[in-house]
Amino acid sequence: MRKIIFILALTFTIGGFSQNKAVKPGEKFVYAASYYMSGLMTQLAQVTMETETVKTSKKTLLHLSCEAATFSKWDSFFKIRDFYESYVDPTTLKPSLYKRDIFEGKYTKKEKYIFKDGNVESTMSKKGGAPTTKTFSVGNSQDAVSTIYLLRTVDFSKFKTGQVKTFSVIFDEKKTTVTAKYMGRETIAAGNLGSKECYKISIAATTKALKGTDKNIIWLTADNAKVPAKISFSIPVGTGQLTLTNASGL
Amino acid sequence: MRKVLIVLAFIFAVIGIPFVILPLGTLGVLPAGLSLVFAVLAFLKSPAGHKNVPKWLMILAGLLLAVIVVKAMIPDEVEKDTEFEQKKIDSKQEDLKDLEELENL
Repeated sequence: MRKIIFILALTFTIGGFSQNKAVKPGEKFVYAASYYMSGLMTQLAQVTMETETVKTSKKTLLHLSCEAATFSKWDSFFKIRDFYESYVDPTTLKPSLYKRDIFEGKYTKKEKYIFKDGNVESTMSKKGGAPTTKTFSVGNSQDAVSTIYLLRTVDFSKFKTGQVKTFSVIFDEKKTTVTAKYMGRETIAAGNLGSKECYKISIAATTKALKGTDKNIIWLTADNAKVPAKISFSIPVGTGQLTLTNASGL
Repeated sequence: MRKVLIVLAFIFAVIGIPFVILPLGTLGVLPAGLSLVFAVLAFLKSPAGHKNVPKWLMILAGLLLAVIVVKAMIPDEVEKDTEFEQKKIDSKQEDLKDLEELENL
């Protein structure tokens, strides 16, 4: 599941995105996550992405969250309860705080990044072990969750087919460079939104987390909201997809 | 021929059991269905008085298929996890403290 989130995260451009007009507080997108098993696409989990406004004493921030939970029938075999969240500036989507809480079977991991002046102070603990901290420079790179939302601010209507963008994502305390290739438009089913014309974007990375050429694809609705309608992924342990089942608060 | 059909029905019934136990949707229809087909053929090929084994294999395969169909009709849902929900609430309160501290740096 964390690889799915990483694939989602790879959809961030260093530049070429405008000020946020697509992401609004109160959004809720629900996806069915399926995995290719024994020749069949089997539904494993539900992924929920939500946004809400959070106020501190000085600022108003946008809280972005991404939650993955296995369907109850899978819980006895392999329970997943992953929670990713990021607090960002509502206009620029620049993160202040990012947190990741992984619970996958017996594997647990907690991660916290505090963004300050181009640096990240990270705290990480695995399997209930003692937390480790470190500080590293990240420049303009974003965390995993905010990158998913930042992608929606990119104006793909001006892209030509085959046009490639360079991406930068911080994941597992590492800066990863990836590319996104605009592949044109396609009409696909988008849950309760019906059949929607979408931007088709292929994601590639210099990491082993992704496999194949044009096998990791995200479809964003070709409208102002740019809702991720479908995500297909190919990772070392198999292939799968996330399909939108319900979108609200747009 | 009858024995071969009984063995095949038995093998596919055994293969079908883990498919029924595991949440693999309708994938188990294939082994359970084949088991039922071979069990029915074995039943028809069996002389009177020797139909007991294929009869029980038919019942087993039928039960497997019934369980698969019933399980397939149950909608996929995420169980309400109060511990997880509480963890999210606690995390949010901690986040607000971190954000306040960050602003005051």
